[in-house]
Amino acid sequence: MTSQTHDKVVIVGGGPAGTAAAAELACHGLKSVIIDEAPKLGGVIYRGPLRKTDSLPHLDDNLKRAMTALQTRYQAHRESIEVKTQTRVLGPEGSNQLLLSDDSGLSRQPYGHLILATGCHERSVPFPGWQLPGVMLLGGVQLQLKSGLVRPGQRMALVGTGPLLPLVACQLHKAGVDVVGVYEASPFAKLAKEAVALLNKPKLTLSGMSMMSYLKKHKIPFKYGWGIVSAQGEEQLSSIHVAPYDSQWRPQRDLAEQVAVDAIGVGYGFVARTQLAMLLGLEHTYSKVSGYVPALDEWHQSQNHSAFVVGDSNGLLGADAAICEGQLAALRLAWQCGKITESELFSRATKVNNKLARIKKFRFGFDRFSDRQPGLLSLAQPQTVVCRCEQVRKEQLDEAIAQGVKDITSLKMRTRIGMGDCQGKTCSSYALDYLHQAGLTENIGVIKPRFPLDPIPFTLME
Amino acid sequence: MKPLKRTRDITPLPSRNFKITVDDQSVEACEGETVLSVLLAANYAKVMENDRNVASGAYCGMGVCHCCQVKINAKHKQRACQTLVKPHMSVETLTNRFKEEGIKHD
Ligand code: FES
Repeated sequence: MTSQTHDKVVIVGGGPAGTAAAAELACHGLKSVIIDEAPKLGGVIYRGPLRKTDSLPHLDDNLKRAMTALQTRYQAHRESIEVKTQTRVLGPEGSNQLLLSDDSGLSRQPYGHLILATGCHERSVPFPGWQLPGVMLLGGVQLQLKSGLVRPGQRMALVGTGPLLPLVACQLHKAGVDVVGVYEASPFAKLAKEAVALLNKPKLTLSGMSMMSYLKKHKIPFKYGWGIVSAQGEEQLSSIHVAPYDSQWRPQRDLAEQVAVDAIGVGYGFVARTQLAMLLGLEHTYSKVSGYVPALDEWHQSQNHSAFVVGDSNGLLGADAAICEGQLAALRLAWQCGKITESELFSRATKVNNKLARIKKFRFGFDRFSDRQPGLLSLAQPQTVVCRCEQVRKEQLDEAIAQGVKDITSLKMRTRIGMGDCQGKTCSSYALDYLHQAGLTENIGVIKPRFPLDPIPFTLME
Repeated sequence: MKPLKRTRDITPLPSRNFKITVDDQSVEACEGETVLSVLLAANYAKVMENDRNVASGAYCGMGVCHCCQVKINAKHKQRACQTLVKPHMSVETLTNRFKEEGIKHD
């Protein structure tokens, strides 16, 4: 690695983690390239509006502050950070290049060091009717509110678990949507148990409480221990059934209520986006909260490729933690490149680590609260499609398991789950949970990401 | 050409905007928006018919699920949520090669 390009630090993902890493590197005289598929830095969480607008009446001040902070972080170091937006990484090429695609075609990006900050995507939970137009994941709803500035529906309900539910409910209501109900799968008593953990971030806890009182003031029902049962509609969503969940999150169907809606947001958790890390050959281990995550040292660096993986792509901890992790990786890299001394590395890292520890305590409180229970798997009925792209039904999974399938690759061969356009990103977490529930926990493997990670349009090959 | 109305914008569109066509109807759009936002603003929930002839709407909104694929400027399978609108763009919803070209699944 002698030439200049080969020393380049390439960061995949321009969300909180990637941007923080780039800014920290710049502080120590290291230049970087951020590659992001979106038109704007910020990640799904802090990207903000894509079109011009004078005001954002539906977004809270915390969010606006965080969005501005991220832009400021980048602006302060823009000379040292090259940004390639609307650019997708298709996969590794050779030992030190990535293959990229953008509007103008395919290109190669050589790197000396690699930081992956690819974030997460939502965990899908199939239930009868989940394919109906109008059923969206919570993040998708949020993106329309925050980046599209569009109401995804007129009469909406939210189902799922975790702090995003009240947040999105407030944003929807302020955006003019009639929010008819919010259904949190976990009981309130479980949240109360986490009070101590939540006090690690008193400001966030307070803002959570003020959101709850906003909902109360506007008479938006928020029901703990309730969740989705099914969705109905002819051509598109017209109503859902919700019911109280028992402690295992099994719906008490006899108590189900029907709610008329034209759209819903569903949010039962997230999965780390690790397709690129897997293609690079990084070792991964399974975690119940985040899915498969790369095995890393305390600096978020992998043994076998020396790539760093930061933010939600190495385990779900949220945006504040992602910023810390991006900084830690950058500090370590600055030290490895001889830009800072060991004592500088440790003194700065200690501060960041202390902050991270507090965030983790808070976050783990919510993780325990939102720990998904096996009842979610029982929502899908035998005829319910569990893989949208290939229209594989749940009964086909049962049949395959009964015939002796013991791992996810055989399940894929047998049923075609994970073979469609989305390459298993939508169905594989359900399939993994399902295998686990069937008692198969050893060596069940993962749906292997394929090259290219994103479809290459024919026009680029001509 | 029947104009399509946008009824779901949270803030007003900027004054400098342009038109695109969606299924032979014209609709206002502006720089920076995704095709999906325009569709949702105009009250389109059902946008795609997949290879197995099942209709779907946008689901993840972030490029992961491939449930929002439409035909844009005669090119099939473009993700509406990942494509920014451009002047004169022509978007067709619920189109599918399997259907159009009479290809059958086994
Ligand atoms: S809505 Fe999932 S890819 Fe567009």
